[in-house]
Amino acid sequence: MNSIQEQMRARARELLTEGTVQMVIGWEKGTFWYLSPPTFVTAPEDCDRLVWDEFCTNNLAKYLLDYKHTEDKIAIFVKGCDARGIVRLLQDNQIDRERVYLIGIKCPGVKDGRQAAALGEEKRKEVPLAEKCRFCTHPEPVVYDELLVPDGGEALREAAAAAEGRFAEVEKVEAMNPDERYAFWTAAYDRCLRCYACRNICPACNCRECIFDRSQSGWCGKQMNRSENMFFAITRAMHVAGRCIECGECERVCPEGIPIMTLNKKIIKDLNELFGEYEAGVDLEALPPLGQYKLDDPDEFH
Amino acid sequence: MLKIAKDKLPELLKAWAINAAVFVPQEKGGTRVFQPWDGQPSLTLDGGNTLEPPKDLFFPRTETMYRYEVQGKEAGVTEIPTFDGKMVLVGVRSCDARSFLIMDDVFLTKGYVDEFYRRRRENTRVVALACTQNAPTCFCTSFGIDPGRAEGVDVQMWPVADGYLLEPITAAGRELLDQAGELLTATDTAPPPAAVPGLVVDVTGVTEKLQGMFEHPYWTAVSRKCLGCGACTYLCPTCHCFDIQGENRGNSGYKFRCWDSCMFSEYTRMAGGHNPRPSKKERLRNRFLHKLQYFPERYGKFACVGCGRCLDRCPVNVDITRVIREVKEVAL
Repeated sequence: MNSIQEQMRARARELLTEGTVQMVIGWEKGTFWYLSPPTFVTAPEDCDRLVWDEFCTNNLAKYLLDYKHTEDKIAIFVKGCDARGIVRLLQDNQIDRERVYLIGIKCPGVKDGRQAAALGEEKRKEVPLAEKCRFCTHPEPVVYDELLVPDGGEALREAAAAAEGRFAEVEKVEAMNPDERYAFWTAAYDRCLRCYACRNICPACNCRECIFDRSQSGWCGKQMNRSENMFFAITRAMHVAGRCIECGECERVCPEGIPIMTLNKKIIKDLNELFGEYEAGVDLEALPPLGQYKLDDPDEFH
Repeated sequence: MLKIAKDKLPELLKAWAINAAVFVPQEKGGTRVFQPWDGQPSLTLDGGNTLEPPKDLFFPRTETMYRYEVQGKEAGVTEIPTFDGKMVLVGVRSCDARSFLIMDDVFLTKGYVDEFYRRRRENTRVVALACTQNAPTCFCTSFGIDPGRAEGVDVQMWPVADGYLLEPITAAGRELLDQAGELLTATDTAPPPAAVPGLVVDVTGVTEKLQGMFEHPYWTAVSRKCLGCGACTYLCPTCHCFDIQGENRGNSGYKFRCWDSCMFSEYTRMAGGHNPRPSKKERLRNRFLHKLQYFPERYGKFACVGCGRCLDRCPVNVDITRVIREVKEVAL
């Protein structure tokens, strides 16, 4: 029914049977038709759990950190954004390229699960593209060991990414006056629960110990109030500056619907203007703008 | 049975707002949460359950406990005035109403009464609203909750085509309705049937099964996809863990308590760095054992009300109903 899904299961089964890998990370069907959460397959007979459908939304790259200290070789399915997450982790020396086996998928863009739930299964075809996919610039994985190619000549993108819309939300906020901007961001982050879902799903967040798990260090207290919440927001945004791969997972997983990507994209836009165009997680050899120094770097303080 | 027309409801809230802060579900930044009613005529009582549970009205996210000051060798403590206002919560669903009873067990029984919680709880009247439609993530009936009639509330409401039916449950609820004056009319309309959730899980025997599962390999398997974020705990109407810390400036400061989550590494980290729950496996296990084993052992009831918020918002679809089903199936 779905050639990608069949290839997925077949390849996973082969890799596990041969012993090439000890685990395969992919997606399975969740509680509802609009959920395809991550799954971890270790036995060849369990490979039929794997699915590929329009709700395979989760970026799987981050899970590799959980197996950093094992000897296992792990196969992982990568869409465009997952592959960029892999590149990020490789650049940060978080994972060993020899110990991961990347199975690429030319991603047609995934659908918005929340809107799917609201529409109902009978309108499955009408479910819109996930927000995170609307301005995707790399639907094809930038790194892989093998690429699954659908046999039916399926359109690569169901909705062409309009790169010019990439910073549309940022421009709206930039057009505000400082008071409006303050009101916009404080209203958003007053809702922040500090659940850290954004941090925990982010492939750019890979510190061994996070500042926000050290509440008594005096940097960021545990009180859920405007001051601490804004400190959290800004610190995290600055920390992923130049390393955010725009997979949009932080914003998708935020239970409060905070427009986190608008903040991240503002920084990406500024970096592009200051240091030249750069896309994180695309080229393994290209150093992030804040991870290198050039004599002609602008040094004015904004 | 009493009835109020839909367009008269704001007038009723207005009457209640004379002596109390009235909280109703409202849209805020695209999400629905309980907010102080500020007199606006448009109410969104019928939009399903709120994203956040109303627990923070009794148990705020962050609450100052006392202030202190040091001068030379003298130290003084200033008590924070305890809450003495009154609140009326309108539109509480049966699942959240049950959660209040669960929180009561924690904060008011077993030999210690939490004054911060007690003051708010005792000064609050709860007006429940029956569910005539539900979300796919709802499973309250699995915990013996009736979506059509809440427990431990003062007034029960039911939505009908042109208004709401109201029934006073307690004396305090009767007083609330007495304040309505002409707004209410007597009716013999029967309450509409409750919406019965499609998601059902049989919880029989799960506590006993879990008692023998602490070291079971199931926890490794089920925790693999967990991100270790705290979304489930903060959106849970029964999660009640808190931390107490201080904010010090020079010679003075204050102690506060704030929500905490057993999903965080810091939660169990001890002085010296040892962590008895070192990975997400132990943390996720603790969360489920607390809800389904430890709480029933201590209080004789499950610490889950089937509101489905965790299931709805978990970034990776960790599903407590599936966990219960799987726990019951695994071999010991």
